Amino acid sequence: MPEHDEEVLSTDELSTDELLVEEVSIDGMCGVY
Amino acid sequence: MTFDLDLPWQVDPRVSMRPEPFGALLYHFGTRRLSFLKNQRVLAVVRLLADHPSARAACAAAGVAEAELPAYARALAALAESRMITERTVVCP
Repeated sequence: MPEHDEEVLSTDELSTDELLVEEVSIDGMCGVY
Repeated sequence: MTFDLDLPWQVDPRVSMRPEPFGALLYHFGTRRLSFLKNQRVLAVVRLLADHPSARAACAAAGVAEAELPAYARALAALAESRMITERTVVCP
């Protein structure tokens, strides 16, 4: 009977992709030249 | 916001996209908002949206792995929330 292989899956891979998008508004820059 | 990966999406026509070494800078002329795409793959996904029948297909074409889809769906949801991308109307011939 084959041994039960344990497969280790990384769940941390997505943590590096948390910031795929960053947003800012430039409304507060009105009048700044 | 929940993002439907199976709908067709496109970059809003009022958005200007400037490629950068880190990814790209998006500026929306209507909302005056800026978005930074933080890597080349998410830029590829955004660019491919208009050419594919769904965001899921665009992700696949850009090489996004199944395990990475939730992160990309969150990124696309953020872009949809800020109106950088909009749902595309499919016109049947």
